[in-house]
Amino acid sequence: MNNVNLNDDQQDCLQEIINVAMGQASDQLARYLDTFVYLKVPSIEQVSSQHLSDTLKSEAQSVAVVSQGFFGYEGIRGEALLMYQPKDSDRLADLLGYEPDELSVEEQIIDLSSILTTTFLNVFASQIDNQMSYSAPRLLFSSNADNNTSSQSSISEHIQHNAFNWEVALKVKISYQVTDYSFNCDMILLIPESAIINITSVIDRILEDY
Amino acid sequence: MSLSVLICDDSNMARKQVLRILPESLSENVQLATNGVEALEILNNQAIDMLFLDLTMPVVDGIGVLQGIKEAGITVKVFVISADIQPEMQNKVLELGAKAFLRKPVQLDVLNSHLKEHGII
Amino acid sequence: MSDNPFCTTIAEQLNTGILILDLEYNIVEWNRFFAIHVHKNLQDMVGENVFTAFPELPKKWFERKLSSVIQLNTQSFCSWEQRHHLFELSHTRPITTDSHFMAQNCTFLPIATNKINTHICILIEDVTDVCHYQTKLNKTLEELAKANRIDGLTQVFNRKHWEECLDKEFARARRYDHGLALIMFDLDHFKLLNDTYGHQCGDQVLIETAQEISSLLRLCDQFGRYGGEEFAAILPETDLAGALDVAERICRAIEKRVIKFQDKNIRISTSVGVATINPEDKRYEDLISNADLALYEAKETGRNKVCAAKEIELILED
Repeated sequence: MNNVNLNDDQQDCLQEIINVAMGQASDQLARYLDTFVYLKVPSIEQVSSQHLSDTLKSEAQSVAVVSQGFFGYEGIRGEALLMYQPKDSDRLADLLGYEPDELSVEEQIIDLSSILTTTFLNVFASQIDNQMSYSAPRLLFSSNADNNTSSQSSISEHIQHNAFNWEVALKVKISYQVTDYSFNCDMILLIPESAIINITSVIDRILEDY
Repeated sequence: MSLSVLICDDSNMARKQVLRILPESLSENVQLATNGVEALEILNNQAIDMLFLDLTMPVVDGIGVLQGIKEAGITVKVFVISADIQPEMQNKVLELGAKAFLRKPVQLDVLNSHLKEHGII
Repeated sequence: MSDNPFCTTIAEQLNTGILILDLEYNIVEWNRFFAIHVHKNLQDMVGENVFTAFPELPKKWFERKLSSVIQLNTQSFCSWEQRHHLFELSHTRPITTDSHFMAQNCTFLPIATNKINTHICILIEDVTDVCHYQTKLNKTLEELAKANRIDGLTQVFNRKHWEECLDKEFARARRYDHGLALIMFDLDHFKLLNDTYGHQCGDQVLIETAQEISSLLRLCDQFGRYGGEEFAAILPETDLAGALDVAERICRAIEKRVIKFQDKNIRISTSVGVATINPEDKRYEDLISNADLALYEAKETGRNKVCAAKEIELILED
């Protein structure tokens, strides 16, 4: 395993940048969705590729997972996974301001995912003088169409079946709670090790100012 | 005249961010707290003129500190400095007695104009 | 499209449609790719509202989508997998695909002048090719999955899939303390039939018998070919009396059925064993063994009849 551990100062700095990004993104979201978004302290940890599926398995039983890649200057890149819990999808169209028959549940989930990912990462990037681009969001799986018995292990199975070309990744987990709709969703950012090194150097530059 | 100041934030960087833009009259007598429990401990035992308070913190958060101050009848001017800038949250902290709401990362000119507005400098 | 000659050349040569709208959804600009595929001149269309120019657009959805792009100042996407196309455009594979309109991946981008969003750029990618092959692949995968579950001759579940179903139903019945019945069928004198009329006739009998049994079962029952001339049905939430009733009706229906093979009328009968889940059964295989014993009894005692598995007497201690 490469030495990509963040020291206390780096971790603190990254945490603060994420907090601010979360705050501004939630504000934009709250205005757009016309509701209050509850914020929790985000968690930052390192995961090895072997343990990723185990870690994600413990993230409760998601019914749908959307993936969206992001990439900025200075080699900052990663993948955002948006994980939805059962029942939450019922009122999504309402939350997004669409008529329920205008779009499928899959499309609603993809649409919201893209909004959550891009609003957060745009603010994150602007704080470190960067700019993000995004790939189109993709639904990795949804248990809506399949039988429900197999949904619980699907995300870890999906990840297990892929051979990864990285060893360590930085995992940032942010939980969104939309109070009016009692709706929860987890955003998990996974940043591969080569990109962690790039992020660390950006953080060090910010820390030098203090 | 130098005022006694308390900065309460779980992030070291955020505390430093405030510290380095404080005007001279506020930067001579500064104490730091990393969560709401530590802040209330200091506020209950010493006279503090000015509190810079973060909202999202472990153990006791900023809202908890504002409630603690109100319950104990402590006199202190509170500026909330937070990343959570939703209007609903801003209204809530002002209702709980905070003098001002500043968004993170806090800027020198914004801080100064609020300090002037409340006659602190 | 811009003062920069590179931008103009590239935008015109790009195999991606570019459409630029103002905030009132009026058409401001489009590139050559888009023009070619809508068969319209830009000059005639500039200033026209996008909903007038393209009445096929879902108006409310489109407006909400664009408002998110402007308000959140971020890009948004729309994939062919959720919406085959937004604009009714012709495409580059009209001959070798069955797609009527171009399948599209669309990207919506906010365009700012002096930090204020003034326009929206829509990028339209032709993914008719991807759509065509992905749809084919999905169909093939579905067929494969089906082939994996179905017995090729009789079109009912194959042994492997049927046992998986039984495994699940057995666990469910145990968990919720529900009833579960199993019926096993074995066609009488099937070897003799094969020897007399040939295997094609045997196959015909298997196909028609499977159809007959299927038609007499409920939708929630799971029916499969267990072996050569053996079939089996899982009846969830069914007690012994209910299962015996179904078994008896099937037995009589098969007896009456006349199967035509070439010029001959073939009649056949079946022996049937019925078992229900009981507290002694540890695994689903126990249930099969019990039904098998009952089937054996039906064979031994004259065929063309239904036998139930012997109840295991439970002696309760006081």
